[in-house]
Amino acid sequence: MPDQATDFMKDYQAFAQQSWDAWMRYMQQQPGQANPLGFGLGYAAMPQDDLLTRSLANLKAYGNWLQQAAGAGLGQSSPWQQPAAMQAFLAAFNQPFPQAMAGLDSASAFGLEHQWQAWLQAMQRAGMAAGVPNSQVAAFGITREFQLDQQALQAAMQNYAQVNARYQGLLQQVNAQGIAKLQELLAQHAEPGKQVQSLKALYDLWVDAMEQAYAEMALSQEFREVFGALTNAQMQVRKLQQQQTEQMCRELGIPTRSEVNSLGERVQQLRRDLKAREQGQSASDTSLVDTLQSEIAALKRELAASKVAKVRSIERQASGENGKTPSQRTKATRSAAGKRK
Amino acid sequence: MQNPLHFDPQQAFNEVAAFQRKLAAGLQNLRGLGEQDYANTPREAVYSEDKLTVWHMKGSNKPTARVPILIVYALVNTVWMTDLQEDRSLVRNLLEQGEDVYLIDWGYPDGADRWLTLDDYLNGYLDRAVDAIRKRHALDAINLLGICQGGTFSLCYTAMHPEKVKNLVTMVTPVDFCTPDNMLSHWVQSMDVDLFVDTLGNVPAELMNWVYLMLKPLRLNQQKYVSMIEILDNPVELKNFLRMERWIFDSPDQAGEAFREFIKAFFQQNRLIKGDLQIGRQPVDLGMVTQPVLNIYATQDHLVPPDASRALQRHVGTTDYTEIAFKGGHIGIYVSGRAQREVAPSIHQWLRQRT
Repeated sequence: MPDQATDFMKDYQAFAQQSWDAWMRYMQQQPGQANPLGFGLGYAAMPQDDLLTRSLANLKAYGNWLQQAAGAGLGQSSPWQQPAAMQAFLAAFNQPFPQAMAGLDSASAFGLEHQWQAWLQAMQRAGMAAGVPNSQVAAFGITREFQLDQQALQAAMQNYAQVNARYQGLLQQVNAQGIAKLQELLAQHAEPGKQVQSLKALYDLWVDAMEQAYAEMALSQEFREVFGALTNAQMQVRKLQQQQTEQMCRELGIPTRSEVNSLGERVQQLRRDLKAREQGQSASDTSLVDTLQSEIAALKRELAASKVAKVRSIERQASGENGKTPSQRTKATRSAAGKRK
Repeated sequence: MQNPLHFDPQQAFNEVAAFQRKLAAGLQNLRGLGEQDYANTPREAVYSEDKLTVWHMKGSNKPTARVPILIVYALVNTVWMTDLQEDRSLVRNLLEQGEDVYLIDWGYPDGADRWLTLDDYLNGYLDRAVDAIRKRHALDAINLLGICQGGTFSLCYTAMHPEKVKNLVTMVTPVDFCTPDNMLSHWVQSMDVDLFVDTLGNVPAELMNWVYLMLKPLRLNQQKYVSMIEILDNPVELKNFLRMERWIFDSPDQAGEAFREFIKAFFQQNRLIKGDLQIGRQPVDLGMVTQPVLNIYATQDHLVPPDASRALQRHVGTTDYTEIAFKGGHIGIYVSGRAQREVAPSIHQWLRQRT
């Protein structure tokens, strides 16, 4: 009699494989379109297959776990209180953080290893790595400066590798602590009515547990130091690589990044000066207008005062003639005219 | 103790099969979906400079508010989170309330912007944007709505140019950058920022995204996509999901010098609350912020912990300080159903009482 579960698993595996293949084909057929599963960090330089594999890796891990978990026949006898058994049960998620981070891997993040491997290979192809001295050997001769540069880069890469190993070690600890957290969470679901009844619910609980363990680690003093050291170590490697690249560029007459930076800095300062001058000019224009308006107002006042003085002078003269001011004369004239009407 | 795992084997097999079936069928729904639009509220560019654009957002009715509000977003990610889609839009909701809304789109810095400093951003770009709006409305002062890092910028700006800000609203804004639960802050304390910026120049958006995903690596890089399988057969939900994906990863690089200053002065030295912050030649004293302040924070914010925002009350100079705790996360405060109902009306009511 055929084993029903085994048949199902065979059918399922065939179906699952067809499904993944279909997704890969779908995404490969549309290189010009945006990746509908645009998660993960992509680079144009990466082969398309590599990008897709990275993007789908985490989903596939989940699919594999579902398959494994269903096949394990979880039931009343599941040894959920034994860490080793739980670890085995969650084997499809073994190394969950490196797995999750594989999708995050990018040249601008911490995916430095493949980048520096490519660098070393390029250096070797250029014959530069032959006889590269290690950092313990004193440098001398016409290639002394080049030897020193290589030693510094080599030391920086070694340092990065060491710090990265510490970082990975911390993530491993999170994995172990996450299993313990999961057992704690499961213990809270032991009462009838609260039991975990679906694989997805168990998966969600596992994620909660892992994230709790990760958050505790990520906020620890040790993680803070290692994360900082990892960032600094990577930047040191990149900086030395840039310096060597610049040296080559200078020899080939190609503008370097430092030169572009220098130009950029000057241009930015010019932009600032220009804006300040424009604003200053604008303020100055405003101030000039204000000054001119003040001067005009003053002139008007002077003119008005001068007119008044002149009028008074005439009035005084007229008053001397008939004892009346010109205004009195006007009123008298109008009055006379009215009477005439 | 009973076994907490209570699986029916047949049900487990069914679950596996359903997952694979949805995965296979989901392909069909993804075909032809392409890039999802966002930011579809009508708008008009009213000021631009270099890569910056100030947009005047247009509602279906004329604004009733006399004083316009300028949304100042962070330099990380884009301002379009505030106008993601028609039924998830802080901008639309504010317009419907009668507010006159402007927003700053900082643009995408490139190598030419490598040397932009915080002084350039705040006392340059932001100040000129504010001036442009003040001039359009013939007003001495306008309202500011700062979001996340843009909220921090708005606080600094208000402290430096108090005469130009009438009311200040801050949303999910970090003020105390060194609270014990601030993971981002924790991670950058041992970082050599000078080496970092000197090496990278502008900070690539991919690197910023990597750091954000690392805050919750399994949830954000695996569980989210496992859950996506559940909505592959729902075109509306799927479009919403893809639109959000676009916003998350469609992010600008960070201008190197401004990044250097921000990490050092704010994250590492926490100078905003120590009171010795200086931007350009101007001191930034939160005590100078005497305008009415509305501070909205999210209770489940994993990027800006509530305590980082709530610290504002202790340092700001105003006597008219209001705080609103929104039940949700850093993104949910813009896109959740609750946000649509609560956030814009709260802002509008608060502003209306002060104009």
